[in-house]
Amino acid sequence: MQGTAARDFSEQTQKAARARSLQILGVLCGLTAGAWLGAAEAPTKLVTIGISPMVISLIMVIGVFLARWSLPALVMGTSSVRADVGRAPHLVLWALLAGCLWAVANTLAIFAIRDIGLSIAFPLWNSNSLLGILWGFLFFNELRQAGWRRWMGVVGGAAMMCAGAAVLATASAAEAPRSAHSLNGVWAALGAGILWGTMYIPYRKAYLTGMNPLAFVTFFTFGELGMMTGLAVAYTGIGPLWAELLNARAVMFWLMLGGFIWVIGDLFQQYAAKYVGISRGIPLSNTNQLWGLLWGVLVFGELRGKGSGAYAEVVGGSLLMMLGVGAIALSSATGEEQTHWREAAERESARYGVPTDYVEARLDGRRAASEVRPRRSLLDWLLVAAATSVLLGFALMARVPEFSFRWGPAAVLTIVTLFLLLVCGERLWRTTRFH
Amino acid sequence: MPDDATNRTGPSRLVLVLKDIHFWVPMAVLMGGLLLLRFIH
Repeated sequence: MQGTAARDFSEQTQKAARARSLQILGVLCGLTAGAWLGAAEAPTKLVTIGISPMVISLIMVIGVFLARWSLPALVMGTSSVRADVGRAPHLVLWALLAGCLWAVANTLAIFAIRDIGLSIAFPLWNSNSLLGILWGFLFFNELRQAGWRRWMGVVGGAAMMCAGAAVLATASAAEAPRSAHSLNGVWAALGAGILWGTMYIPYRKAYLTGMNPLAFVTFFTFGELGMMTGLAVAYTGIGPLWAELLNARAVMFWLMLGGFIWVIGDLFQQYAAKYVGISRGIPLSNTNQLWGLLWGVLVFGELRGKGSGAYAEVVGGSLLMMLGVGAIALSSATGEEQTHWREAAERESARYGVPTDYVEARLDGRRAASEVRPRRSLLDWLLVAAATSVLLGFALMARVPEFSFRWGPAAVLTIVTLFLLLVCGERLWRTTRFH
Repeated sequence: MPDDATNRTGPSRLVLVLKDIHFWVPMAVLMGGLLLLRFIH
């Protein structure tokens, strides 16, 4: 009797330790995502020639498409993607839907920047984190029985980050464009925020059902590329679009590289959504604005010539954002809340007939006993080789534009970003084997 | 609860998807986004 009680106690302690370890991993993934999503802006800053925003977005998405197939093939192998889809084929629909949502949101964001400027647009669509909290609570039992302290930490932290984002955007924005369509710009920015905030419903659903983020993104990207191509053709026309793409040959590599780096950040964002939920994962990865600003100010000298007021705004906004991040990072889900997460996962498993041992194992960040160990095949190496060749081909065509560039800060930021990748990647591998 | 997806009985996956609010909320938001894009363009 005493032995059974001791064994139960030991099991509970182990489960609690595992849950804590996954929460820390999720927070680390969110912060690494912010660094990489912010760094993705750097190559795009090299593009100074007149290309329409729609075409810039389309070329970046082509780079994203290459990365979303080659990285999962390299890390886990496509056999693992096939196995995941076989267990929960309905999730392909959600992956495509999420990709479409991203493409429309990104296009709306471009219109918002054109009409009202980044300083007003960014805080408006950054409110996506607040919407993510609402969807997480309503649909996936997040923050249930979390206690008022955690509620304050998450909601207050997200609100603080929105305020910090507003201050940073004001400081970093160039002179706001004067447009006859400012009201349209406000609607576009709010629309982008709603679409991006809602895009996390498919993310969370997939990860509660057990799908690996590496499998989810391979289908997500079809929605993304399909919708983006459709929008570019619809708004530009096939002939002019082709002419613009040919005209942009020399800078295509930089945009595709930006898309490739963005995918690395997005993968960590997906793991953050999986292990800390969308209510905490979205605001943590929204720190990308802070990193984007660091690249802009330190490497590209974007605040050069501005008064001390702009620097005060940058410091103040950054501090506000960091306080918000700290509040969210310290509000990780407790045992009671995680019990509600498991109930939401059981609901998905029962509804779609996904094996329970698979859902439970994946929620716990491990491979189910019934699963075969993922292996890479010739197809995977071919995919990696094809993506590398395409990127190398465009790199050979690329020209380095004349640009004011500070190598010292760029080297420091690159080292910090790579360090985060190594630390987080190693922890992700050690704790979950990328599940 | 059946332990294997292939042993499922009851409505097909497509019917389940079409009855799932998690599908219709993002779908409605996507449609709204496309309409908004058309309106502001």
